Amino acid sequence: MSEMSSGLGVPTIPAPPEEPHLPPRQWIRENLFSSLFNTVLTIVSSLVILAIVRGLLAFIFNPQRQWEATATNLRLLMTQAYPEEQYLRVWVCVAVILTLTAMSMAVWRAGSAVPLPGVGRRLLSGGVLLALMALLAPFGTRSTFIWLVIGIVVAAGGEALRRFADEERSLSTLALLAMALGGLVATLWVVPYGSHTFNLQRTPRVLAEPGTVAMSTKLPWTLMLVVAVAAYFVGTLVRDRLPTNPLRATLLVTWLLMPPILLYLVLRDPSFDMGHVFTTDIPIFAAYAVLGGALLSWLTRPSTGEAGRIVAALVLVAGFAMFATPMRMIVRLDMLLLAGFALSAPTFSGGPRARRRYTAGWLGVLGMMSWLITAINTPSTVDVPGGFFIGGISLTLMVAIFTIVISFPLGLALALARTSNMPIFRLLATWFIEFVRGVPLITILIFFSIMVPLFLPPGMHLGEVAAVVIGYSLFSSAYLAENVRGGLQSVTRGQHEAAEAVGMTTSQKTVFIVLPQALRVAIPPLVGHCIGVFKETSLLAIIGLFDVLYIARYVMSNQTEFMGSTKENILFVSLIYWIFAYQMSKASQRLEQRTGLGER
Amino acid sequence: MTAPTTQERVSHRVPLWRDVVVLKWFTQVVLLVVVLGTMGFLASQAGDNLRARNISTSFDFLERPVDIQLSEGIDTHPDTGARALWTGMVNTLRMSIAGIFFATILGVVVGLARLSDNWLVRRLGSMWVETLRNIPLLVQMVFYFSVLTTLPRVGLGTGPINGWLHVSNKGISMPRVFIADGFYQWLVVVLIGAVAARFVRQHRQQIQDETGAMTSPILWGLGTVALFGLVGLFVHPVFSWMGPVFGRIADLLDSLPVIAPQLGFSAIALGVAVTWIRRFLSAHRSARGHLSLSDDDWFRIVFAAVASLAVVFVAVRWTGLSAWTLDSGRDLFQVLADKFDVDGAARPFDAMRPDIIQKGMFPNYGKSGLTMSIGFAAVFFGVVFYTSAFIGENVRGGILAVPKGQSEAAKAVGLGRGQILRHVVLPQAFRVILPPTGNQYLNLLKNTSLAVAVGYSELVQVGSTTYNQTGMTLPVVAIWMLFYLSCSLTISVVVNWFNVRMRLVER
Repeated sequence: MSEMSSGLGVPTIPAPPEEPHLPPRQWIRENLFSSLFNTVLTIVSSLVILAIVRGLLAFIFNPQRQWEATATNLRLLMTQAYPEEQYLRVWVCVAVILTLTAMSMAVWRAGSAVPLPGVGRRLLSGGVLLALMALLAPFGTRSTFIWLVIGIVVAAGGEALRRFADEERSLSTLALLAMALGGLVATLWVVPYGSHTFNLQRTPRVLAEPGTVAMSTKLPWTLMLVVAVAAYFVGTLVRDRLPTNPLRATLLVTWLLMPPILLYLVLRDPSFDMGHVFTTDIPIFAAYAVLGGALLSWLTRPSTGEAGRIVAALVLVAGFAMFATPMRMIVRLDMLLLAGFALSAPTFSGGPRARRRYTAGWLGVLGMMSWLITAINTPSTVDVPGGFFIGGISLTLMVAIFTIVISFPLGLALALARTSNMPIFRLLATWFIEFVRGVPLITILIFFSIMVPLFLPPGMHLGEVAAVVIGYSLFSSAYLAENVRGGLQSVTRGQHEAAEAVGMTTSQKTVFIVLPQALRVAIPPLVGHCIGVFKETSLLAIIGLFDVLYIARYVMSNQTEFMGSTKENILFVSLIYWIFAYQMSKASQRLEQRTGLGER
Repeated sequence: MTAPTTQERVSHRVPLWRDVVVLKWFTQVVLLVVVLGTMGFLASQAGDNLRARNISTSFDFLERPVDIQLSEGIDTHPDTGARALWTGMVNTLRMSIAGIFFATILGVVVGLARLSDNWLVRRLGSMWVETLRNIPLLVQMVFYFSVLTTLPRVGLGTGPINGWLHVSNKGISMPRVFIADGFYQWLVVVLIGAVAARFVRQHRQQIQDETGAMTSPILWGLGTVALFGLVGLFVHPVFSWMGPVFGRIADLLDSLPVIAPQLGFSAIALGVAVTWIRRFLSAHRSARGHLSLSDDDWFRIVFAAVASLAVVFVAVRWTGLSAWTLDSGRDLFQVLADKFDVDGAARPFDAMRPDIIQKGMFPNYGKSGLTMSIGFAAVFFGVVFYTSAFIGENVRGGILAVPKGQSEAAKAVGLGRGQILRHVVLPQAFRVILPPTGNQYLNLLKNTSLAVAVGYSELVQVGSTTYNQTGMTLPVVAIWMLFYLSCSLTISVVVNWFNVRMRLVER
């Protein structure tokens, strides 16, 4: 942004090699006091660190801080104004995602194991850190003493574990994580984090006895933890009993299908009459699936030749002609999709296996599109006066995911157009990319959020969030195109020539030879781009959408109980963003190391 | 000589709808028609909608009086829309330049810290980078803003160092050095000094090359400039005669007819196009003088010709542009003439300490100190810290990209630590660092637009206030995009120029 844009794109640099393990005294001498200059640096930077830590602790533990504001408003931050009585759907979504994550972790054997002495070492340093913090934080004498004792006890336990535990025995990090989360959830039942919640009119309403956490919070979270742990164990059981590859493939497909299904689950009107779906949508899908499948299966036959191209062109003409006649939108869009598939059929022509795969691809894309159109057409009861019905982190994630998904094919097309040898394509792509990269995201978002209604024909309507997602996707596609172009340029001339020598057409060369190699090289910058897109969703706050930043800055700090709690709220929001972005960048670095991208 | 004939025969046999060239151009023209058609459709829709809602899209509002109050800038109560937007642009540029300057310094420090031998410093550097680049800039800005707003209120005689540095919820105020009447004459002296420094540097370099003695040419050059600057403080009035000269130039520009800049623009456009086309042709000529051009090359040539003709057309048809060029040139020289027309006692610089005045109920900062409003401070700290994390990573990557053999070889030759860094590692690292850092500068410029969230009156903030008042959304958005595009273009031209220079140095 900003990464993308703004900070889009995080440069990734190979980590320095691991240092050899030295005895502490020698390590300190070599790393901290090797020369006079180094000693001065050490002293200065330890003073700086001391000041930072002290300032941070003084800020956090200042009695004036209203951390209750975030604890109380967690629901607002997560989903904003999603109706209370429909909340079960959200919990089901969370449970599905947790189950999938836990099962995938079990099946892929993710996570490492730490030998017990290692756990002890970590406990030791954690305890020492805790004790130091207790000394630095502006506590009263009594709390300082308590925390100091806790720190020392933890450190002593860690030291004992480090000394006496068996090196052979180990503890998996997932188990450690589950224990930590379990502890956290357990505190929900004892520690009063916040005692009330806010409903739609933003009037405070006490949901629980003072000094406890509401049952509607602690019960679901406890259930979620149980679900996740259970899913992990089911995953380990299944892993050992079923063949690996089909299992992994099933999980992958489920992951791919989940977003539309969950979205549908969250948006759907529970009293919606499904008759329409059965009488119209499914027949249309079936007709296109059968007839289109047959057509494509004929078109991908290598012997079809000239006639196939003429038929494909006719399908395209028919698709456009449908826009001039009264017709259901879904019929027209499906026709255009079919035309696209038909026109690119010669590229994928081949033996029976290739043909079957192409037809299956058609069925998948058609199904996905029908599903999305039906889901969008489904009326939603989740209707909130004055704005979009979800907000907070859900809105952030939704906008980010949609933007990435939409801008990916767009960026790919732009990159190909910019590197093609067709001057008008190249010119249009170059102008678009350079124009978009030259202006700030916020101007584009403002333009799309207020100006889009002006450009629409009468009778057509586009919600503000949808308009913003379109603008954001156009913006992000320009940056994505540049990342892909970098990958395209790294494909050597010889690859092109070899593909041509084998007799591939230009599109076959692009699809089967160039793009796979280019995208592989482009993975690290693309992940950086995704992080940038995620971070820059915070700009939605400027145009007045209820994202986390907006809620933290304007909604929460204007609640009568928590007047002037902006600083705390924003610190919390930064923490949320930081956790997501940091995890993504770490994951990308791991991926890079595993595929050895840096070295080639 | 058989190849072309075969080709010809083949191309005769290929039917029209299978001919690659025909297909290629057919698709391109279809795409162009579709794109233009869509844009035309949208534009006509917008026109209808605007007419239906009675919204005009002209740029009249630029001339008309507006009622806008800006938080800071060259003109806090602008009388026209144009003046308001201009103030916003100046504020954007001010923030960008300050931000780029400090972010570069901080970024280099962070990058070097991450490569330090000292474990603590290294940790501190990576903490800085990992924290700042993973939190959205806007969130950081809003956080700084909310911290600054809760600072103690300004009162008479407050601040960490009373009379020198004040920190309060009205901003940060510190002593200011500003340019006074004699500055421009002093600048002339310094420019002469810079020319002299060039010769001095070359001379010292020559001695070093011939004798091998350490003559530190760069230090000598800098010393020359400093010497001229110092002497200039006392002798600058000798350049007062330049005022009348500039006045004469202004008069000359005033008397020129409008046709002169029109001719100038046309000549430049045609000249550039003709030179480019000639160079392009000679580059595509083989050693025997045979010219081979693909359809793509033809397209480029036609495009260059058409573009230059379009410039000529615009210059001729739009006399306002030429008149404006003349007027602004005249104004510029008139201003210069006024600046040089001062008495001998004027000083180039003046300095003032911050003051606090009580006007009405509450005390506030006066005009004499250098005051950072909290909006400015929030944006400034935001962009500087955020960009420094990215620049730091670029610097680190650039230095790591220099092969270890280079510094080992330098050490073997007997260079010292500082010399290795200055003569061997940094010049090579700079070439790797520059392109991504140029991108970061662009990002910083664009990121200043986030200031709209904290009320610093830069272009986007002023623009949104303007369209909220006048309803002129489309023209304001057009002005935004034009401004940012031209700024981005300027930065990338400068960075590219450096890039090319660095590459030449290599060979």
